[in-house]
Amino acid sequence: MLTLRDIRKRFGATTAVDGLSLEVRAGEVFGLLGPNGAGKSTTIAITTGLLAPDAGAVDLLGLGSPADPRVRMHLGLAPQEITLYGELTARENLMFFARLYGIASPRARVDGLLAMVELDARANDRTATFSGGMKRRLNLAAALVHDPKLVLLDEPTAGVDPQSRNRILELVRALAAEGRTIVYTTHYMEEAAKICDRVGIVDHGRMLDIGTVPELIARHGGKSAVTVTRGEADERVLTDDPVGEVSRQFAGGGVTGVRVERPDLETVFLALTGRSLRE
Amino acid sequence: MRAVLALAGKDLRLLFRDRGDVFFTFVFPVILAIFFGFVFGGGGGSSRIDVALVVEGESRIAAGIAADLAADAAFEVQRMDTREAAVDAVRAGRVAAAVVLPATMQDGVDGLFSGRGIPIEAIVDPSHRAEAGLIQGKLNELAFRQFPRMLADRAQMSRLFAGARRSFAEADGMTASQKLLAAGMVAAGESFMNSVNPADPAVPANPAATGVGPDGAAPSADGAAAAAWSPVDVQIAELPPRAGRPRSSFDVTFPQGLVWGLAGCITAFAASIVTERSRGTLARLRLAPIGPAQLVAGKGLACFAAALVVQALLIGLAVVGFGSSIAQPLMLAVACVAGAFAFSGLAMLLAGFCRTEAEANGAGRGAILILALIGGGSIPLFFMPPVLRTLSFGSPFRWVVAAVEGPFWRDTPLSDQIVPLVVLLAIGALGFLAGMRGVGRPFGR
Repeated sequence: MLTLRDIRKRFGATTAVDGLSLEVRAGEVFGLLGPNGAGKSTTIAITTGLLAPDAGAVDLLGLGSPADPRVRMHLGLAPQEITLYGELTARENLMFFARLYGIASPRARVDGLLAMVELDARANDRTATFSGGMKRRLNLAAALVHDPKLVLLDEPTAGVDPQSRNRILELVRALAAEGRTIVYTTHYMEEAAKICDRVGIVDHGRMLDIGTVPELIARHGGKSAVTVTRGEADERVLTDDPVGEVSRQFAGGGVTGVRVERPDLETVFLALTGRSLRE
Repeated sequence: MRAVLALAGKDLRLLFRDRGDVFFTFVFPVILAIFFGFVFGGGGGSSRIDVALVVEGESRIAAGIAADLAADAAFEVQRMDTREAAVDAVRAGRVAAAVVLPATMQDGVDGLFSGRGIPIEAIVDPSHRAEAGLIQGKLNELAFRQFPRMLADRAQMSRLFAGARRSFAEADGMTASQKLLAAGMVAAGESFMNSVNPADPAVPANPAATGVGPDGAAPSADGAAAAAWSPVDVQIAELPPRAGRPRSSFDVTFPQGLVWGLAGCITAFAASIVTERSRGTLARLRLAPIGPAQLVAGKGLACFAAALVVQALLIGLAVVGFGSSIAQPLMLAVACVAGAFAFSGLAMLLAGFCRTEAEANGAGRGAILILALIGGGSIPLFFMPPVLRTLSFGSPFRWVVAAVEGPFWRDTPLSDQIVPLVVLLAIGALGFLAGMRGVGRPFGR
């Protein structure tokens, strides 16, 4: 579906993307996970064809570079910023983009999208009056107006409340269920773990590893930690089999408390980069 | 102190990083200084008013005025054969005024003491009213400059005194004693003039010494009499109105006001693409299956429509509210379309190349100010030296006024309207092409 081969991009003395390669399969939700400044948004911009790489190649759907507008037609982008016209209503915004893409029945398409992002009740309100979460959802709807095969979501939950975040994650899952391919950048590891079929860990413009969350954890997460409390004393045990370890500890008797810490993407990131995801 | 220096350093850095601020802070004052330096005689040649001169009857005074006018540094004189040709030149805007020295000038000289005055006519372009006063004053001065020559001409003086004697004799409102007194004064004057050798340097060269001031008022003790009688009769008239059509001064002011409406369109739309860029919507637009040409065309079309609306509004207001009439409605529509195209092209040029809203707004205002300055929007073109007048041909302000005035009130022939229209279309096309190139540049970070 999408292939990036050895992409490099520099801005002056800063290397934003440093030989990044990845392959996104049709129908999957692919997460690009990395801290702010890791090169995720630059990678997305290169994927859209809006930014030319200094080196490397991008191929979309086997049709070639997205720099070609005919190839780019298959892409939908929800940028990190809210890219809407605040002076226009929700419906006017979507109608504008639908007309830009030459959608045959724009009104029906727009109504469907407004319902999907649960903004139909506010369809005729100016976007500037929306909450952050509502703007995010409309931003996502604008990316879908031309029914693209590949949807690029750049930090789609940045700065929204937990309720809106959950709604956006549900929408992403729904889009995936429709058979769309989604590239999802985030620095929230729990989001990536929740919705991504595979995750690529990016830092300093390089792809450190790619895999499913269990695969990454298995490769880089290390052992689970089981902390057993007996009276006032805590005992921490590192194990590959936390369930078996807990059983063994209870069999020993005198256990007043147990805490199991399984490795997660944060642990993986720490292991791969030596720093926390949110640094 | 370190904090103060740090703050100052930061603000200076910000200033130098904003091209709009740099332009208005450093470049624009230099442009103004150079511009006004040229305007007020700092170089680049002298400022001259273009006038058409028609001498309808050969006479000594006409020849003298014509020669003096041609030699005057304030005027660039074009001799024309007929009054009609001169009026056409004024109407087409090629000259600011037509000066006509009529065949009756000699009659005026001969009957100088009979109160008729020496007739001189000037037909001015209503959009050049500022020049009218200057021209009137200059013609008075030139006429009075002929008086020493008249006094030195004994034959002329004889005719003049004979005319005066005849006038007094035939005057109905004078008593016999007043006629006798007047005849005595004429005789004394004639006797004095006859005693003076025409070649005698004692004949005064200074008009003031002849008893007439250069401003046209005789230094009489009787102020009322001086005000009532002037030996020079300079008639200033505006262009004759078109047959059967009313005309008001708003015919002139509204086309000139149009340019400021069009200028407003530039400022409104020059920032449109950078606004898209700054709010991120440009990324969406560029992802859509449209190229830079379509993007610029779409933006330009909005600007074009706004420019047409503002022109229609102003012209409609002039016609409905101020009694203006349109000489050539179809050509006026064409001129408005060309003007809107030129100014929307300029807006797209700025829109395509500016990277920040501040830069676009600054460049928009800067472009308007400079184009207005050199296009005569702030200072009349006739005040400008030749180099600036030449530069003014590069300003769409000049051309849009020329294009609109022609069919609106000047009623100029089509051949005179083609050049402004072509220039406006060329400005617009170049603006759009450059704007497309600007928008097509690769995205920055």
